[in-house]
Amino acid sequence: MSAEPLLAVSGLETHFPVRRGLMRRQVGSVRAVDGVSFAIAKRRTLGLVGESGCGKTTVGRSILRLVEPTGGSVRFAGIDVRATHGSALAALRRRMQIVFQDPYGSLNPRMTIRAILEEGLVIHRLGTAAERLERMQRALERTGLTAAALGRYPHEFSGGQRQRIAIARALVLEPEFLVLDEPVSALDVSIQAQVVNLLVELREQLGLTYLFISHDLSVVEYLADEVAVMYLGRIVEHAAADALYRAPLHPYTRALFSAVPRIDPARRSRRIVLTGDVPSPANPPPGCRFHPRCPLAERVCREVDPPATVVAGHTVHCHVAARELEKAGGDAETAAATVADMMARPLAGTLVGGGDS
Amino acid sequence: MKAAVAARSTGFWAEAWKRFRRKKLAMAALTFIGGLLLTALFAPAIAGTKPVLCRYKGTIYAPCLGYFDRRLEPAIFTKDRFRGTYPRNLKEKDPESWAIWPLVFQDPYRSVRADEWPGEPANPARDEGRPSRRNLFGTDQAGVDVFAKMVHGTTIALLVGFVSMGIAGTIGIIVGAVGGYFGGWVDMVTSRVTEIVMCIPTLVLILAVIAVIEKPTIWHTMAIIGATGWTGIARLTRGEFLRLKGSEFVMAAKASGAGPVRIMLRHILPNALAPVLVPITFGIASAVLLESSLSFLGFGPPPPTASWGSVLNDARSNLAMWWLVAFPGIAIFLTVLAYNLIGEALQEATDPRLREARK
Repeated sequence: MSAEPLLAVSGLETHFPVRRGLMRRQVGSVRAVDGVSFAIAKRRTLGLVGESGCGKTTVGRSILRLVEPTGGSVRFAGIDVRATHGSALAALRRRMQIVFQDPYGSLNPRMTIRAILEEGLVIHRLGTAAERLERMQRALERTGLTAAALGRYPHEFSGGQRQRIAIARALVLEPEFLVLDEPVSALDVSIQAQVVNLLVELREQLGLTYLFISHDLSVVEYLADEVAVMYLGRIVEHAAADALYRAPLHPYTRALFSAVPRIDPARRSRRIVLTGDVPSPANPPPGCRFHPRCPLAERVCREVDPPATVVAGHTVHCHVAARELEKAGGDAETAAATVADMMARPLAGTLVGGGDS
Repeated sequence: MKAAVAARSTGFWAEAWKRFRRKKLAMAALTFIGGLLLTALFAPAIAGTKPVLCRYKGTIYAPCLGYFDRRLEPAIFTKDRFRGTYPRNLKEKDPESWAIWPLVFQDPYRSVRADEWPGEPANPARDEGRPSRRNLFGTDQAGVDVFAKMVHGTTIALLVGFVSMGIAGTIGIIVGAVGGYFGGWVDMVTSRVTEIVMCIPTLVLILAVIAVIEKPTIWHTMAIIGATGWTGIARLTRGEFLRLKGSEFVMAAKASGAGPVRIMLRHILPNALAPVLVPITFGIASAVLLESSLSFLGFGPPPPTASWGSVLNDARSNLAMWWLVAFPGIAIFLTVLAYNLIGEALQEATDPRLREARK
């Protein structure tokens, strides 16, 4: 973590305009990503978790400029991504690739696997025809497929195989950084493990850096070095994976973790069921964004946006957690236990006896 | 997976064709349109008064080409004063000559005179001209053979559909693609233009233009049908582009560095084309119908151009000549039906949702 990070995102904002009426006047904006900052060092993996609609996918796409960010900065290997245009942007995109969630939607049904894999190479004018073929074969073999796949169409493959093809397409350009946007969520559980293992293998072999976006906490725990938890366009908690899983400080993180089914009874916790829906990102609540659903919300939460509290690399945006941290003298585990106790109190929100899932 | 099947698999269109081929009715329709195409191509060999091939004064000529364009008729026959009557003149002016004649010795532009073909009487005219062995579909008011007229009118029936929808398809796909892909104010402009064009009544516009133009031809009609008939195609294309531009494979192409032109042509268009082909097919049918109605009203291609609609127009003055209504009517009906059947089958063969529903 000492060297300059490969990717540094700071204050990233991606707002989508909401237009109405005959003149398509902008009447507001959906703040899909609203001030997100993190850094990923080379060869490390950051897991980005949160429920659907929290903006994690938009973060991934904004970094690659597949959607245009509206504010903040993205630096990749020292290059300001938001300031690059034309061929410089194209060159950057060769170094950063993305794997999408839905392997049925991410491969053009009218193109052969060869055409899909070759496209990036042709666009970036990489190698002769023979060299391109060799690169494609290598990428396919790395992902556990054979060159026999080249002449076929996506519909002839299963979901897991398609996702391998999507990964091969990303790899064929030999990138340094991969955005993995829920790459296993659409797959069968039995296939998920294979693809996750493949991703781990590739990371070791090729020295890749990952931004792993997922709502599946157990997959993230297995794969990520660090984890950032997003809620409504913001990161609410960010820590090293083991620290976060051992001592989640933010009430939202804890609620999220309590929803993970555990086989080990010792790790089972009471299920915390949040009431209400996620507020609309077009009109986020004032103060702490989580306060309308937080069982621990106090007056200050409704009024003041909680600043970052950092203790030993563990960042949390929460008034209650910050106070408990201070009381515990900066010991995250003690503070986390207190937060857990407070949330377990029956009066604080709707609680359901857990352990049954 | 390991089996080294290096062979190229069947693509989308090959699959669609396989499914299309299973539909008997659509294949019959396709065969019918194919038959019309052959009829149009070989019209002068099917019905005409000019030899398909003849040897005259030591040289071989194909005077039948004169039906496609008057300039293609060899000059020697004009010089030798044939005046369009070949059988007698050939024999008289060169006893050595021989000729291969069309299947039916009837002219689409004029009535055949008595003894023009040795020993045969002249065509009957008016209500005398009911269908007979010599005039398969009867003759019209002026005694012109209806079968010959219709065979030669096939060209127009086909041309109207393909040319006008070719124009409409090109405009519609371009306008729809640009609007749908770029969105924002570009989409706003293209959508409004589409809506304005949609309001123009094609038939009235054609009538107006024909009234203004000095020498209206069938090409003007086709151009107008094409220039006003693209709106539905544009809207559909726009919708498809809107849907597909947000798809993950387009995102992936963008991430690979693809520019807008590449994305539109290589990624979106091939996926958008199948649904757009369907209204184009239906458009061909309605263009054929529109041309027929125009001809029926007397605003079709000016004589002597033969068209199915103009035969219908002839029937207006004497409805007792039922053969003037029946034969072109059936031909138009079958053609329109065939295009519609093809369009429907195309839709079913290319629409993945319908495909899965039937499984």
